[in-house]
This record gives sequence, C-alpha cells and structure tokens, in this order.
Amino acid sequence: MRNLILKDLILHRKFLLLVGGLYGAWMGYFGSRMGSLRVSIFLSTFLSCIIPLMIFTREDKFKAASVSCSLPVTRKQIVLSRYILSWALMLIVYALIVLIAVVIPGGKVKAGDLLSTNAIFLALALLALFFSILMPLLVRFGMVGMFVFLIGMQVLGAVLLFLAARKILPFSLKDILASIGRALASLNAHLGGPGYYLVLFGAMLVLSAASFSLSVFLFQRKDL
Amino acid sequence: MDNAVEVKGLGKDYKGFSLRDVSFVLPQGTIMGLVGPNGAGKTTIIKLILNLVRKNGGEIRVFGLDHLQHEAEIKSRIGFVHETPAYIEDATLKDLKTAIAPFYKKWDETLFRSLMAEFGLPAEKKFKKLSHGMKMKFQIALALSHGADLLVMDEPTSGLDPVFRRELLERLSGWMQDERKSILFSTHITSDLERTADHITLVDDGTIVLSRPKDEIKETWGIVKGAAELMTEKRRASFKGVRTTAFGFEALTDDIPAARREFGPGAVIDRASIEDIMIFMDRGNGHA
Repeated sequence: MRNLILKDLILHRKFLLLVGGLYGAWMGYFGSRMGSLRVSIFLSTFLSCIIPLMIFTREDKFKAASVSCSLPVTRKQIVLSRYILSWALMLIVYALIVLIAVVIPGGKVKAGDLLSTNAIFLALALLALFFSILMPLLVRFGMVGMFVFLIGMQVLGAVLLFLAARKILPFSLKDILASIGRALASLNAHLGGPGYYLVLFGAMLVLSAASFSLSVFLFQRKDL
Repeated sequence: MDNAVEVKGLGKDYKGFSLRDVSFVLPQGTIMGLVGPNGAGKTTIIKLILNLVRKNGGEIRVFGLDHLQHEAEIKSRIGFVHETPAYIEDATLKDLKTAIAPFYKKWDETLFRSLMAEFGLPAEKKFKKLSHGMKMKFQIALALSHGADLLVMDEPTSGLDPVFRRELLERLSGWMQDERKSILFSTHITSDLERTADHITLVDDGTIVLSRPKDEIKETWGIVKGAAELMTEKRRASFKGVRTTAFGFEALTDDIPAARREFGPGAVIDRASIEDIMIFMDRGNGHA
C-alpha cells in the first residue's frame, strides 16, 4: 500500500505541485471573493476533488495502468491506495484553498465562517459526494468517460434551469433544493450538533465504502 | 521437474477474436517461445498470465499457484516486458526506478545500475525522450534487476538493433544458468527462437497449433519435396501442410521417418525450421 502511494507521489509530484498549487491558490483567491459561503465551499471542494483524479487520468493518458497492474500488488490494493491518496490530497488542496482565502485581504468570506464546524462538515460531505461518484466513473470509463459525465451533468443542469425558467418543468428545482436544506436543518435540530455531525459522518463513510466497493468491482473486471 | 507456468483450457473472448482452449506447460529451467503471426493471440496469452485481462475460462498456475488467488506473491517473482512500454512519459528513468524498485524485496541496485550503463540508458532522461528500442532496454533492465524466477516478455526484441538483440539473447541464456529460472517470451522473429528457446508454442487464430520441445521438433518435423505426381489425396491428408510449387510440391510433416518410408528415394526431406512450420501452419489451416 505504502509503495503504491509513494509510486504515485514520485511519478506525479511535479504535476501535483504545479497544478494543485496553482489551482488551489486561484480557487482560494476567487472563492474568498464570492458573496455566498455555500457556493464558495461547493466550488472549492469540487476543485479539490478534481486534482487527485487528474493524476489518475494521467495514468490513463499514458496507458500506464498495465505496468501498475503487472507489479506485485492486487487490483484491490491499487484502488485502496488511490482512495487513501486522494483523500489526503483533497484535504491538502482544500486546506490550501481555505488558507489562501483567509490570509489574502479583501475577501468577502469570513475566516470564522469558513472554519466553522458546519462549513467543515459541509466541505467533507461534498468531498465525499463528489469523489464517491467520480472515482468509479474514472475507473470504468477513464478520463474521457469522467469528463463526458461532467459535461453531461452541466448540460442537464442548463437544460433543467432553462425549462424551470420557462415554467415547463412539472416540479420546482428551487423547492427541491430548499426541501433538502430544510430536511438537513430539521435533522440538525432534532439530533443536536454532535448527533447530526455523527449521522453526516456515517453517511459519508457509507457512501465512500460503497464507492470503493464499486471501484474495486469495476477495476477487477477491466481489461488492460 | 516443477512447472513454472501451467495453462489449461484457457479462453478469452473479444469482439471478433477468441482465444480457445489454450493449454501448455513451461517447465522450470527452460525457455519457451510463443510464436505466431500478428493477431494470433500471443499478447493475449501473456496478458492473461499477468492478469491484465480477465479470462473467460480455464486455469493458469504460476509456480504451482493459482494466478488470481496468489497474484501479488506470483508477480513478485515475475519480471515483465510489455510489447508497448507504457510508463508515465514525463517521468525520468531515475524516478521510474525509484517508484518501482520498492515493490521488490530482492531488488539489486548494483545490477540495475550496471545494466543501465551497459544499455546506455541515461537515468536523468525522460521516458518520452527514449526511442522504442531504448524503452525496451529500460523495461529489460527493470525486469532483470529484482531476482525474478520467471521472465514474461512480449516481443522483447522488437525495435532492437541486431547487435543488441544478439547480446540480449546471450544474456538471457546466461541468466538461465540458474536452473530455477524460466522464460516465456513471444516473438515473430523465428531466428530468436532457433537461438534460445527450449520449447516452442505455436499460436494461430487463438488456438495452440503445437507446443513441443524444440529438439523434438527439429528431430521429427521436416519438409518433403517431390514431383507433383507423388502427391495423392491420401498422402496429402497425412501432412500438416502442403503447397504446390513450380517443381512439384512441398509438404510439412511431423514424422520424418514415416515420410521416408512413404516416399522412399523419390522425395527429398529437409529439416523444417520454425519459420517453415509457422508458414505452413498459417496457410489455410495447414493445407495451402
């Protein structure tokens, strides 16, 4: 496991430092200038999730998976090492974004808000959500598949917004999002702070475990 | 004698191509050459052994162990060379070595450095800057540096100049001085097989056409040449392959003594080279 993580760090370190550092700094600066804390966290976590995935798309690009899978490791170990490394990198990139957002003067987002328990748990939940969805897609369909999915989601979002604006949709997107927010707020009110965060943390773990199992299942069946 | 590799009833289906009922045995301490035309299934067999592609059926045992249940243990004893060297292209050779060496407990840094020097590979050079031949050399250096008991190599001599190809084959023969070592390599350069292989496995259109010790093939397989009128339908059926030439016929037999008895002094019989066998077996299922 350690060897697999080190291998990826050694072979992608320049890319990580350059792209992760650059995008992290960029996101930290612009994130701090956004009016909405939630939007800022949403975009920052999404970018933090994309950075580790990009190093695996590099392996895809160079078709180097056949070498990784010829080494004395199992495919399950390869996937596990990627989940561990990705979580470490996501947390580092997100921490960098928060640090820059807090340090650079003139930001609209307050440091106290970004570092509140709610904001931290929201960020962790979003990281878990994004990564858990994107990683199996990357494993199964590679770089192209992942980007097709992301573009597809954007197109779907644009279409839904267009239809919602023209009141063609039989339901209200705003109401759905608001009801999710209300459900979480209600859960928070009933369980109290610690219980609520425990439930959220449990849900993140279940989601990550399901994503990991799916990724292993897919990778073990992938012909290289 | 123990077997380094045992393959039984192996199958793999792709769209438009199937590997069917592939069985062969590579005894420990020997070199097996997998030979066959392009697209015959040689690379697929090698990928199946390394579990790079999933089998649809059959069994693969390496060092007597199931290749899936003991995957990591088996691979720690295998040195691999892929037909298309695919590493992270913008990494230097030094970085690639640093990333890969820790996976092997028996990694021999001194040997690796001497091979790098001998092969003329600059450690600081990026992988993408190497020619195909240099990339193959780098793969070979990695494969030889971790005390592997089995080398699995897919077209290892492709892209190499004749001088280095000869040197490599000699090195592999030297590596085989340790009787626990074995080599399985695919090639369509039949002269490489004549020079080094102990066993020949001929693959064509996804099936094993023949898998025998090279000496046995040399002893018993031959090309019978004679006038066209000597070739009857009954005789034709007994050959592995027949072709008509301007002077009569040429036919491949796997039983030289029987052919001598059948034709007597009326036909000339030469020993068949691996290339002869490959060409005859490839044409119209052996009956060109």
